[in-house]
Amino acid sequence: MATKLSKIINHWVPENSKVIDFGCGDGSLLKELIETKNILGYGIEINNLKIEKCIEKGVPVIKQDIDEGMNEFKSSNFDLSIMARSIQCLKNPNLALNRMLELSRRCVVTLPNLGYWRCRINLASGKMPVTPELPSSWYETENIHLCTIKDFEDLCKKENIEIKDKVFLNKDGSRGGLASIKPNLLAVEGVYLLEK
Amino acid sequence: MKIKTEQIHFSEGLSLESGEKLDSFDLIIESYGELNESKSNAILLCHAFSGNHHAAGEDEELGIGWWDQIVGPNKAIDTEKYYVVCCNNLGGCAGSSGPTTINAATNKVFGKDFPLVTVDDWVNSQKMLMDKLDIPYWHLVAGGSLGGMQALQWSIAYPDNIKKAGIFAAAAKSSTQNIAMNEVARESIRKDKNFHNGDYYDHNVTPKNGIKTARMLGHITYLSEELMDSRFGRKFQDEASKVDQDVDFEVENYLQYKGEKFSEFFDANSYILMTKAMDGYDAGKDRNLEEAMENIKAELLIVGFYSDWLYPAERGKEIQIAGMNNNIKSSFVVFDGEHGHDSFLFHSTEYSNVIKKFIES
Repeated sequence: MATKLSKIINHWVPENSKVIDFGCGDGSLLKELIETKNILGYGIEINNLKIEKCIEKGVPVIKQDIDEGMNEFKSSNFDLSIMARSIQCLKNPNLALNRMLELSRRCVVTLPNLGYWRCRINLASGKMPVTPELPSSWYETENIHLCTIKDFEDLCKKENIEIKDKVFLNKDGSRGGLASIKPNLLAVEGVYLLEK
Repeated sequence: MKIKTEQIHFSEGLSLESGEKLDSFDLIIESYGELNESKSNAILLCHAFSGNHHAAGEDEELGIGWWDQIVGPNKAIDTEKYYVVCCNNLGGCAGSSGPTTINAATNKVFGKDFPLVTVDDWVNSQKMLMDKLDIPYWHLVAGGSLGGMQALQWSIAYPDNIKKAGIFAAAAKSSTQNIAMNEVARESIRKDKNFHNGDYYDHNVTPKNGIKTARMLGHITYLSEELMDSRFGRKFQDEASKVDQDVDFEVENYLQYKGEKFSEFFDANSYILMTKAMDGYDAGKDRNLEEAMENIKAELLIVGFYSDWLYPAERGKEIQIAGMNNNIKSSFVVFDGEHGHDSFLFHSTEYSNVIKKFIES
């Protein structure tokens, strides 16, 4: 997954730039960008096992609960902040979006689309969606703030966040042809380049 | 595991941060493992305030090394792969030059006249050791608490001679509370009637009670409240194993026992010297931390423990942030740690794995 995502956002990432990745997981995305764009990357992660994987890859990582604050990274002059598949897990996604855009002029956000047709079928049958992309039951999921593509773009408008570029993904993580025509229904995931 | 112990003499002496000079000095060191042909596998371990050169393995006199859970064959710091060196710091009392060694100028023990040494002085003496061992650079310098301060100082003072620094349960400077605790400990030593203003050697006595009280206080600060509760609770000490009739609770007995044992071997002037070095360290010096760290080339691994209230994890994070602001590759990891400040001494799978992977990445 990280390889595909890194290819998709690659041309948004300046060479030799300083990048912070919130919810960096095992560090694969940063590792890809280090190798392809020679970035200086730092990951923020809460899970110790994933932190261990980052260190194994030589990716600098900081243990931090994103909900507990992002301000302390302000002085670090990042060129780009990334939040891939994590924003829906936060207590205050709108606050986090704004904070990221204070850390760096631009940010990349990716999120699962609850408006995807499979989710809608689930809901139509009267149940919370459980799909390959959103596999956990409602009582176990970390995704406490799921939204649709439309919801997210509305939020950006409300917060005066400019969408500089966007890509919609198929269920295999590839750039979607059909998904781009009717993303709110057909995209599994939205990938955004934002600026404020 | 084979332990190699050496006493190394430095006839060239050392100019100290205080302006004084040691005309010559000795360092006692232990080493484990073998230096490889390319001399790329050397690791320096820095001990905390009461530690010594005996970091790993079992020694007849010194017992089990202070970092034996982390250092050894196939452990986090693997002596099968790395050449690992640890020295007793200047001013200590385990074999390196310090208050208990003979001053060549007077032919008497230094005693209280041993000059004030600092973390910077230690690191400078360790650099001389590195040169004498003909090692071009350390692959890693690591330590906990005061040892972590030395690892940080290494990366600041000798950026070209250190690839990685492991800074565990440490801070860029001691807090006001740290200094206050140390002062209570020092006061208990100074007020012992056997202290004789530091000249107790002449009277053939040692201020044992003072050292003991100091150590008892120290022990409280090294442990977490939770650990003390779970280990001792409010249980009473059984009559048969009481160290003293005045003891009621198990925790009292424990502190009495630990304090007593420590007072039998640790030198009072060393205690004062080592705690002064700890209190005095400030990586930022007259500049701020961020500026002080701007020339670092080493990668940093900073580890904190939630149960550590003496050097709380947040203090380690300050180092990481200052490093990141300087574009230094630096990581900050926090573990629960059951043992309070002492947690850096103990193996846990996640802690050992992170150290191991950091070394090998």
